[in-house]
Amino acid sequence: MTTRLYISNDTSARAARADRLAEAWEGDARVELVRTSSRGAFFLEPLVEREGPEGRLAWPLARREDLTRILAGEGGVAIGKIPFLAQQHRITFADFGQAAPLSLADFRAHGGWSGLHRALSLDPQEIIDELNISRLRGRGGAAFPVWRKWQVAKDQPSGVKYVVANADEGDAGTYCDRMIMEGEPFRLIEGMLICGRAIGADLGYVYCRHEYPTAFHTIREAVALAQAAGMLDQDGRHFQLDIVQGAGSYVCGEETALLESLEGRRGEVRAKPPYPAIAGLNCRPTIVSNVLTFATVPSILAKGGEWYAAHGTETSRGTVVLQLGGRVKQPGLVEIPFGATLEEVLHRFGGGMAPGARFKAIQVGGPLGSLFSESHLGIRLCYEAFADAGAILGHGGIVVYDEETDMVELARHYMAFVADESCGKCTPCRIGSVRGREILERIQTGQGRAGDLVLLRDLGETMKATSLCALGGRAPYPVLTAIEQFPNEFRKK
Amino acid sequence: MRQAKLNLVPHRWRTSPPNILQSLLAVQAHLGYVPTDVAPEMARALQVTEADVAGVLSFYPDLHLRQAGRHRVRVCVGESCVANHGSRVLTALAEELRIGLGATTPDKRFTLERVYCVGNCAVSPTVVIDDQVHGRVTPSDIPTLLSPYK
Ligand SMILES: Cc1cc2nc3c(=O)[nH]c(=O)nc-3n(C[C@H](O)[C@H](O)[C@H](O)COP(=O)(O)O)c2cc1C
Ligand code: FES
Repeated sequence: MTTRLYISNDTSARAARADRLAEAWEGDARVELVRTSSRGAFFLEPLVEREGPEGRLAWPLARREDLTRILAGEGGVAIGKIPFLAQQHRITFADFGQAAPLSLADFRAHGGWSGLHRALSLDPQEIIDELNISRLRGRGGAAFPVWRKWQVAKDQPSGVKYVVANADEGDAGTYCDRMIMEGEPFRLIEGMLICGRAIGADLGYVYCRHEYPTAFHTIREAVALAQAAGMLDQDGRHFQLDIVQGAGSYVCGEETALLESLEGRRGEVRAKPPYPAIAGLNCRPTIVSNVLTFATVPSILAKGGEWYAAHGTETSRGTVVLQLGGRVKQPGLVEIPFGATLEEVLHRFGGGMAPGARFKAIQVGGPLGSLFSESHLGIRLCYEAFADAGAILGHGGIVVYDEETDMVELARHYMAFVADESCGKCTPCRIGSVRGREILERIQTGQGRAGDLVLLRDLGETMKATSLCALGGRAPYPVLTAIEQFPNEFRKK
Repeated sequence: MRQAKLNLVPHRWRTSPPNILQSLLAVQAHLGYVPTDVAPEMARALQVTEADVAGVLSFYPDLHLRQAGRHRVRVCVGESCVANHGSRVLTALAEELRIGLGATTPDKRFTLERVYCVGNCAVSPTVVIDDQVHGRVTPSDIPTLLSPYK
């Protein structure tokens, strides 16, 4: 008798040595291995699962020698009893960790394509109305209402239009787009097909960052499989979907720079307006949306906008997908309704600090987000609370720093990153980030001058007010919040 | 040989206007880097200016102008890895290989580089060797980590 064992094939599961287990057990006649997506509980990887009497049983942090125990059914925990997972409210990531990513049969068995089927029974305006009711906002960072962008693109005269998935996922500390492309690529395709139908587009691109080779190959393979199964032909129209790789530039995640890059040029930001929904790729109406945004759309169509809008807070409807990293005990993906506090997330899901580490600060929203010290952890995770605090949720990245962290060095690191990544088109970002880095380097080496902190603040205000895009516009935030919350470290030097 | 390089560019990118970035990536996918003599040649073949090609070539960090060692070792300097003291891993790697960032070992075995996040943040610190992602790397792991790569 063979026992079916499930081991994730996600990049991070493999980085945690899941492959070693798979290689060791592959030839074993007692075992049938299935490589799946990941549940996102990465602190437990490599995680081995098998069917139990009531759902899956799991063996966290499994080792080769655990095979006998696993086959005997000894010591496994029920997946539903793992608090990190049980306390989440998953919509987009509900089925993660269960199925083989490239199995169309598995996808269908878990309700795949049901959002598309519903969309096919609606006319384009009704699809957009459903999104309006859901009050879904873009998950790439800017949080713009999805329906409004789709409406603008739909209302443009018919002709060539494009659907572009932004898979640049540039914020360090974020990985949910990668998980979607590697783990449930058909879900992204489904969201893009729905968008194509709503706005009248037959051409689509996924712009995938170069740092994600596995995601790139998986989504490409998924497109080929979907095409062979006829899924790209709906209602007598063929949707052509191409996967294109970027080349390591952060600013290419900004939608207009992304379009420049997609056209093969330098990834320089375009002045807006015109917005891409009116004149985007090749000057045609284009929806550029984040991978997670597209992947959320199928559930909304399948279950209804009202159902989705019933989750979350007043202006932040649905679920927020957080990605915990840094010095927490339990790093991983957390999907919950908007509105929990940062502190709750840190403790309930993060499990507190990694062994031996003491909390110092937390960064939310990637390199353009803000730092929070202990006294600010009461902030609620929703767009309105973050806007009030002058912060952003961004793409949901949360990085926790321990007390060994040097805040001046961290501030310098953030500013140096922007100086490296500035596209160079506007002066405040190009020059300002280099100046900012220089001042911080000066402070770091003990050469700081009396007016330096004031200078940094003024420079920051100029960059915020006058940069062409949010790279320069938000670059000052990590630095200024660091100075604000840890002033002594900056003065000491 | 010269002609061969441009034959590496698939027709789908030789549109009018052509896709310079994807053309360069196609060359790199085969050769591992973009040799300097490609720019003028590509400009002619794609009917754009040499400056157009050079401009794209200089913009993207992942377009490599030089041939790397047999294996590319990339240490993540993204924030989750920084928070998990990835800088110690970088120091240990530089010591083990006796080279600095951007350099190649004299035997051409390794090139040491940095990368800004590969989405492995929950299993950090991260070191990527060729396309293989290694997680939870500590300085003491380095020798074992490098040994399979000849
Ligand atoms: C410097 C910069 C980098 C960005 N990087 C990304 C990214 O990696 N992924 C992404 O989806 N959006 C990114 N954005 C936001 C995009 O410009 C755009 O708002 C988003 O793709 C729209 O999709 P959404 O409506 O689904 O959020 C970035 C913006 C800026 C200013
Ligand atoms: S920060 Fe290093 S992998 Fe994301």
